[in-house]
Amino acid sequence: MSDITDPLTQEFQAPSPREMLKQRAKGHLGLLTGLGIVGLLALVAIFAPLLAPHDPYAQSLMTRMEPPVFLGGDWDHPLGTDHLGRDYLSRLIYGARVSLMIGAIAALISGVIGTTMGVAAGYFGGKVDAFVTFLINVRLAMPVVLVALAVVAILGGSLTVVICVLGLLLWDRFAVVMRASTLQISRRDYIAAARAVGASTPRILLTEIMPNIFNNLIVVITLEMAHAILLEATLSFLGLGVQPPTPSWGLMVSEGKNMMLFEPWLVLIPGAVLFVLVLAINLMGDGLRDVTAPENRS
Amino acid sequence: MTRTLLKTTALAAFAASLAMPTFANQADDTLNVAFTKELENVDSYFNSSREGVVMQRAVWDGLIYRDPATNEYVGNLATSWDWIDDTTLEFKLREGVTFHNGEVFNADDVVFTVNYVAKEENGVKTQRNVNWMESAEKIDDYTVRIHLKEKFPAAIEFLSGPVSMYPNEYYAEVGPSGMGLKPVGTGPYKVVDVVPGQHFVLEKNENYHDSPKGEAQIAKIDIRTIPDVNTQMAEIFSGSLDFIWQVPTDQAEKLAQMDQFTVANASTMRVGYLDMDSAGRSGADNPFTNKKVREAVNYAINRQELVDALLKGESEVIYTACFPSQFGCAQDVRQFEYNPERAKELLAEAGYPDGFTTEFYAYRDQQYAEAIASYLNAVGIKTDFRMLQYSALRELNMDGKTPLSFQTWGSYSVNDASAMVSQFFKHGSLDSTRDDQVLEWLNIADSSTDPDVRKENYKLALQRIADEAFWAPMFSYNTNYVFTKQVAYEPTADEVLRFVDMSWN
Repeated sequence: MSDITDPLTQEFQAPSPREMLKQRAKGHLGLLTGLGIVGLLALVAIFAPLLAPHDPYAQSLMTRMEPPVFLGGDWDHPLGTDHLGRDYLSRLIYGARVSLMIGAIAALISGVIGTTMGVAAGYFGGKVDAFVTFLINVRLAMPVVLVALAVVAILGGSLTVVICVLGLLLWDRFAVVMRASTLQISRRDYIAAARAVGASTPRILLTEIMPNIFNNLIVVITLEMAHAILLEATLSFLGLGVQPPTPSWGLMVSEGKNMMLFEPWLVLIPGAVLFVLVLAINLMGDGLRDVTAPENRS
Repeated sequence: MTRTLLKTTALAAFAASLAMPTFANQADDTLNVAFTKELENVDSYFNSSREGVVMQRAVWDGLIYRDPATNEYVGNLATSWDWIDDTTLEFKLREGVTFHNGEVFNADDVVFTVNYVAKEENGVKTQRNVNWMESAEKIDDYTVRIHLKEKFPAAIEFLSGPVSMYPNEYYAEVGPSGMGLKPVGTGPYKVVDVVPGQHFVLEKNENYHDSPKGEAQIAKIDIRTIPDVNTQMAEIFSGSLDFIWQVPTDQAEKLAQMDQFTVANASTMRVGYLDMDSAGRSGADNPFTNKKVREAVNYAINRQELVDALLKGESEVIYTACFPSQFGCAQDVRQFEYNPERAKELLAEAGYPDGFTTEFYAYRDQQYAEAIASYLNAVGIKTDFRMLQYSALRELNMDGKTPLSFQTWGSYSVNDASAMVSQFFKHGSLDSTRDDQVLEWLNIADSSTDPDVRKENYKLALQRIADEAFWAPMFSYNTNYVFTKQVAYEPTADEVLRFVDMSWN
């Protein structure tokens, strides 16, 4: 009896939302590609000491700027060596740590700041909203790169300073998106119901609102992560970000810049990796939005 | 449509690059030159940069001239000179010389210039160049006496180098800022256009006097400020520049492989060294107050490798706080070989078995600075690297806030040890050592007129500086000059670009 399934009931049994999500994710090429690349680079970053063939700081002036394998170099330095004879592949691998760490922590800091402000503004409205909107406007009026340059120039460039500066500068999109989503949701019936049964404000915010705006949050996090990584590369390129000898992709581009006319690979390799990482994060973000909120697809 | 447009543009650009206007510059008799650094003020007393020295030699003249090939002193604006006593020099001036604005050169100009620059409150940028002069006195229209504060044997060298003569009436009227915008001198080239941050245009001085510098060959020199080396190279490829200099070694080597350029390398008097805060100005507990730490730094650096792999050309390893060709620059001082093991031992003996972290400042040649930092890291001295503009670092240095910095000094091409060692070890604001013994010897050496006494005392001072490892001198610089085959030029070993010696092939 039990193993006989009723064709009628099966036909009407809709898949759960979670299953639908999985289905949509499996069919989304962009999301899978993005996730794959970011995951791979994250693994590379975590296991850098095991993967790197050489010490990324070991200088050997006698073997400077050896070409990569595909340009006639040897396999001891598959991607060649830089202007101080350091192994390019190892520096690239350790550079992934810097980029991902800056991206993740800066997005986290700005995420916490922006979400708190956005949710508060959307939920409480009134004066709180006016104040937060004012702060957002002030922040949007400041050019990020210039402010970051100025602050880093005053405080001196280092990993910590760059992370903090970016974290404190990139919260605007979080605040804008979270405020709009919260505004939408706080007018729903189930919020009114929660209030009616006497749920406290923190409880409503945490258990009713947060889960419903989480999808948007994820998308913004990925966008801002990519943004932070690019900004770090910009600052380092200008000599105001991560300081040598720390391997950073932006710094590698900057160090290779002088030889660009003759040894373009010095710039192309870190540039390409940076491009791939930022592209992958963006693909991932786009994919997540498509998958979690298919009704908003344009 | 867009694609066709793109294609046409690309083709046009390509065609243009083929039809390179190779001889256009020669046909107009205009030499296009690039400077890498911005010149803050063309007035040579109010800048301290190499570009300023180049302009000074082209636009102005000194009383005396040192032939760069033979190192002999010959008269330029003066025809002869005599020491009246230990502190008085008398000059017979050349007659019939006029400034670019028509003003006649005579004793009044010398008196005015010397009296103006020697006064400290007038703020000449490098006091060392002028502060040995007390005043000048007119005897008659073409005879003048310069009074020295104290005995100063290098006077002739300085008068043939950084001390040039200004027109009294014009300078009194416009001052340093006016002089910077519309410079007027007696030199082989006159300045016809100054656009700060963009370019300077020099034109041949047709009325140039019979100077040992010789007459200018090229009618017009257009100097543009182009900070980026790649842009400079792109422009010399396309023919819009004829002459670039201070080209980094890596790029110069590549350019030398091409047929259309001449690459010349010449040594310079510039010495690269590490300045260590042995006086404890940046904090009394700073590790560099310990002699063993300073020795460790000296042992940690592989000078030979830096010269062989990075600087190349005519560079040499340097162990003294001066350049070997300079008078009094004794070479028999303590020489630190590359010995990282010894460096680690010394650090351990000094109480830093695990090394320490220090701020490390630099203002030029980031590549060299990084290589040096890497040597220090390897023995346990971890560096917090800070790359600054020259003026910013100089200020920090004067305030005694730099425990360790990578510095260079070109001595204004003055061929006397006093131009370097006395600049930095006589308790001035840039002295991170403040050693009384060194000061005493330098005072004797700087003011004696007896060459043997001078040599002996410079030697004592330089030996003590090396023994105590106050500095870590490392290498001398070289300069690469790259120019098109149409240009003929023989660079000299003093890092001075002489437009007057350039001609067309």
